[in-house]
Amino acid sequence: MSDVLHAILHSVNIVILIYFFLINAFYLLFTVLSLFGLFRHRELTTYISFKEIFRLPLVKPISIIAPAHNEEKTIIESVNSLLALEYPVFEVIVVNDGSTDQTLGALIRSFQLEKSRRVFRKVVDHKPVKGIYTSPSHPKLVVVDKVNGKKADAMNAGLNISRYPLFCAVDGDSLLEKDALLKMVRPFLEDPEKTVAAGGVIRLSNCCMVKCGQVQEVRLPCNALARFQILEYFRAFLGGRIGMSMLKSVLIVSGAFGLFRKDIALQCGGYRVESIGEDMDLIVRMRRHLHNMKRPFEIRFIPDPICWTEAPETLKCLARQRNRWHRGLLDTLLHNKSMLFNPRYGITGLFAMPFYFVFEMLGPFIELLGYIMFAACITLGLVNYPFAVLFFLVAVVLGTLLSLLSILLGEYSSECYPRRQDILILTLFSLLENILYRQWLTLVRVLAFFDFYRGKEEWGAMQKKGFAQAR
Amino acid sequence: MSPSLIITAYSLLFLLLFSVSLFVFIIVRRLVLEQRKVQFDRLYKQIEKDILEAISLLDPDFSLGVARKYGRHRAVLTRVLLDFGDIIVGEGRDQLRIIFNQAIRGRCLRGVASRRTTKRLQSIRLFIIFFDPVDSAFLFRLLDDKPIIKLAVINALARIPSPETMRQIFKAFEEDTGFTVQAYFNIIFGLGSRTEPLVKAFLNKPLPVDKLGLLVELVGAIPLQTLYEDVVALAGHPDKEIRIRVARTLGKLLIPKTVDTLIALSSDGAWEVKAQAVKSLGRMKNLKTLDVLERSLFSPFWYVRYNAGYGLAEIGEEGVRRLKEVAGQEEDRYARDMSVMVLNDMIFPGEAA
Repeated sequence: MSDVLHAILHSVNIVILIYFFLINAFYLLFTVLSLFGLFRHRELTTYISFKEIFRLPLVKPISIIAPAHNEEKTIIESVNSLLALEYPVFEVIVVNDGSTDQTLGALIRSFQLEKSRRVFRKVVDHKPVKGIYTSPSHPKLVVVDKVNGKKADAMNAGLNISRYPLFCAVDGDSLLEKDALLKMVRPFLEDPEKTVAAGGVIRLSNCCMVKCGQVQEVRLPCNALARFQILEYFRAFLGGRIGMSMLKSVLIVSGAFGLFRKDIALQCGGYRVESIGEDMDLIVRMRRHLHNMKRPFEIRFIPDPICWTEAPETLKCLARQRNRWHRGLLDTLLHNKSMLFNPRYGITGLFAMPFYFVFEMLGPFIELLGYIMFAACITLGLVNYPFAVLFFLVAVVLGTLLSLLSILLGEYSSECYPRRQDILILTLFSLLENILYRQWLTLVRVLAFFDFYRGKEEWGAMQKKGFAQAR
Repeated sequence: MSPSLIITAYSLLFLLLFSVSLFVFIIVRRLVLEQRKVQFDRLYKQIEKDILEAISLLDPDFSLGVARKYGRHRAVLTRVLLDFGDIIVGEGRDQLRIIFNQAIRGRCLRGVASRRTTKRLQSIRLFIIFFDPVDSAFLFRLLDDKPIIKLAVINALARIPSPETMRQIFKAFEEDTGFTVQAYFNIIFGLGSRTEPLVKAFLNKPLPVDKLGLLVELVGAIPLQTLYEDVVALAGHPDKEIRIRVARTLGKLLIPKTVDTLIALSSDGAWEVKAQAVKSLGRMKNLKTLDVLERSLFSPFWYVRYNAGYGLAEIGEEGVRRLKEVAGQEEDRYARDMSVMVLNDMIFPGEAA
């Protein structure tokens, strides 16, 4: 009996070890690819003068769609940031998705909104619109007041009301850098037929000084949780998505900042209202649709357009957010399970979807299994302590190395944090995140799995502090 | 010690060393960059001051002196010249050209042959700004380089619109494929009406749809009004993308004779062509188009109704009267709602369309 147990434990440990090496090998590969991608991008942009090129009459106008639900603390700064964007022709559509706070009131007061009798084409379905507001003083701004649906529902309303062939999805609490749209539209200009979506970098605005909707001074957040998240965002956006973009495998264009071709999004039926992770869901369905149509396409990740957003600073809010993200991932992967390992869907079916399935969806379970196995081995007295300690240190240092590599990527893409000591603090946090924070997140993601199967639909709203104002 | 323990220990050692080296590299890189930036900014300000003086004095000897003084600091001088070269024109740029020729040109010539794309691009960009016709021969040779370099060269050639350079640009346009085709729009657009004979010749060539569409679009953007007949001839093109562009271009050229073509396009089989034709008809501000626009307000296609509504609004008093009529009828609520929206929008001048 004891031999059988030993054999089982040994086999499981081997599987976990292989998994550990594979996942880290992939992350390293993505980081190396990201470095190449970043250098190539820098090479190209040394020549490109955005201001010259984007005066082209062929540059397509953009509808910026910003759904907002209870965003009264940040909405005015966000809309100011959107209205201040440098782009030839664009409109800003703020969709007030049944806010119960003063989001609509604040918008009406700040932008002198008046009720409009605008009509729109209902191509995709959404909850009823209560009113459309326009402003004589801000002709680019349209505010849509609608019955509460979910973010996807609000985006669909924005899609129907939008007038332009490209749409940019942003969060109601996000700030875009002035030239973000100019940078983001570049792939649509280079290859207007093939490019169907592009994503930019999301950075955390916690503790940054904001003035007139623009980040004036970049600062490291004071909150430890936000600092951990900075490292995660670096790894995800600079380490992961540039690498995935190089492999033509981008499956997520963040809902906080992404540019899409409206016709393709509408051909896919817009956002799926029932989806939990509407951003990933749309991209996966776009890929499925374009593969089915046998149409060549590209979904790009651009490393320099930056969108600032506020990160949760309490464990409760962060847990809710990550729970929703993981439920969104599960929902999207399961909804499109026929694409998994399906050669008909090219690299999406054979690499991107399986990668997310094996390493992102099942990752927390394997990690948890690893901790359980370790506990079991301790109980049974089977632990080789010198090896266990060394292996733990290898895991910690490897994690830190990946974080350092993503910090380096940040340094090459744009100077991430201006003070030298910030690098030291981030390195320290990359070591600390392996103790408790990582295990806690694993648990949150595992619990999200059960919540998903229980049919939990909670959105996971977070408490907003608002942006720190620069004088 | 077991082999697995030894392997793990060595892995840890390697990873630790790698991580520490990376950390040191990031910090040292920061320090070096900060130090360089301080020096760069100080020197930049000095050069900027002297260059501004050279531009105001317009004295070639002074400019030569500036070139000699800062010849050793080529990187900073290159940056200043790139920044000023973009914004200074006329005699001021001649002074900059003197400095460029004296201090940077040789380096740029080497830079053009560099293996590093960034360096090649930067050098070509300087040649674009300080273009000298004698450089055109060697720039022609670069037309066989990577697409991005080729494009930069074509940009440079566009600065001297001689028949030979224009011929080269159109030849490259004909040969190029893929994403660079769009960039030719900017280049040819910059050449303006002098491209007319070549655009005319190419409009009558059997070109792929994307290139033909781009040329049709150019006729409207420049605008090349004498080519309206060549554009009208494409109104029956089998590809709807071309017909859309024909409709758009005619709306920009605003030649009264083309109203009939646009009216014909407004009953095209493809709704996209209809929508564009209706939009252009609105721009024509021709009373002959009123009935077509009013009819289009009852189209089953939202975009056609939308463009018809704003088209009527653009025509003025009579258009507004028709809009009010449609707004008052009850038979077609879609046409009514659209008219109401357009009338309502007219309250806000400057509404982004």
